[in-house]
Amino acid sequence: MNRIETSIDKVKDDIRNFYKPDLYHFVVINAVDLGEKIEVQWFFCEYANPSNIIAFCVQINPDEEIPSIRDIVESSWVAEAELVDLMNIKIQNTAKGFVLEPDFESGPLRKKK
Amino acid sequence: MGKQYEIPLGAQHISLLEPLHFKFTTENEKIVDTVANVYYVHRGIEQACCSKFKFRQVSFVVGRVCGLCSVSHTTAYSQVAEKLIKIEVPRRAKYLRMLVIELDRIHSHLLCLSHVAENSGFEALFMKTMQYREFAMELLEAVCGNRIQYDFSIVGGVARDLKPEVGKMILERLKIFKPQLDELVDIYQNNWTLSLKNKGVGLITKEDALRLNVVGPFARATGLAADVRNEYDDLLPWKEVGFEMVLDKAGDVHARNMVRLRELYVSMRIIENIINGLPESALVTETKTFPDGEAVARLEAPRGELFYYAKGNKTQILERLKIKAPTFSNIPAMVEAFKGNEYGSAPAIIASYDPCLSCTSR
Repeated sequence: MNRIETSIDKVKDDIRNFYKPDLYHFVVINAVDLGEKIEVQWFFCEYANPSNIIAFCVQINPDEEIPSIRDIVESSWVAEAELVDLMNIKIQNTAKGFVLEPDFESGPLRKKK
Repeated sequence: MGKQYEIPLGAQHISLLEPLHFKFTTENEKIVDTVANVYYVHRGIEQACCSKFKFRQVSFVVGRVCGLCSVSHTTAYSQVAEKLIKIEVPRRAKYLRMLVIELDRIHSHLLCLSHVAENSGFEALFMKTMQYREFAMELLEAVCGNRIQYDFSIVGGVARDLKPEVGKMILERLKIFKPQLDELVDIYQNNWTLSLKNKGVGLITKEDALRLNVVGPFARATGLAADVRNEYDDLLPWKEVGFEMVLDKAGDVHARNMVRLRELYVSMRIIENIINGLPESALVTETKTFPDGEAVARLEAPRGELFYYAKGNKTQILERLKIKAPTFSNIPAMVEAFKGNEYGSAPAIIASYDPCLSCTSR
């Protein structure tokens, strides 16, 4: 797993410059609750060299909004909608209620304080 | 533009095996837009794995994510946990994992094919396919002790050895299954009525598959060469046991049927090679190390790429476990592939996706 550390301001441009649909396969977006911060990871792998798994990693404050990449990776909307519900992360133009019912407690995968 | 109607399909519907809901916008019976809702069965398994269970117990928990591809989940999790505790799995255990994964693929593909037949209105073929599938269930029970949810892969290796008489029985049953499979291929390929329901229906192109990151037989039926078995030789030596990728180009329901049927021949060959060349070694690598750091593992489940991410913190409880099931990756393409098709074709198209909501929602 190749980690590419980036920042919330640069991550979208980094993914835009990196991602080519015929070369890379978008796997999923993951988030890890680190306590004070949340690490968001965008996973890709290379069709020609699939053991090369690339993760763009950004640490954010829990109340920060991260950019959506669905204008770059069209199929990422499912992963974004899941993160919004399960990790209670704000993602640009992504509403709650896809994975969980709208009245369900948000962020069940977040650490309990 | 004609008058548009919205028609819901699911979450409870006679053509659905699992709770998913599609809202079709139709115009003169043609589907022009689709909205999908696939999350009716969220069970909080990831959270349970990171709070209630020790990392060695987690392989038994993730085996309950799905009844159909249970061994894919337990193996993918075991692989990621083995990376975190830095152990090498014995060679015999790797071979036995591949054996059960391929037996599982046979029963899963036949289940999918039977439902495509049923949803296409061909009930006799549904019955025949399910009848032929039964041998795979019996073999899985003989190898693992269970027909479904076999806790076969464990962290460090496998839980059971293959008895010589069971190995012999598998080879004998495969010989009986071979002409049955030939018969099924002939029907799925050449039956005129079925072709009317399946050819040119639910089409996506290779370009669509690349754009929408489709995985599994759904992708391979478009010509996109995406199969984790072709890629990862370090965790499980697929090429050593005769793996060969199966591709089609048409991208429709018929092509998905044919990819699955042809993959059954590959699975049979892999199983025969494994049994005939099963290496002698221990079954489990023991260690008292606790997981540390982060790791990922990918595995080709019957529906496509299964992805596991795990993070350890030198304790018995994992910091984070993320499961990405194949159906999760295929949702955007599922929505797209309905467009332009008749509403009456929707059940067969859905069955040809082979969706697993139990895995997706977990």
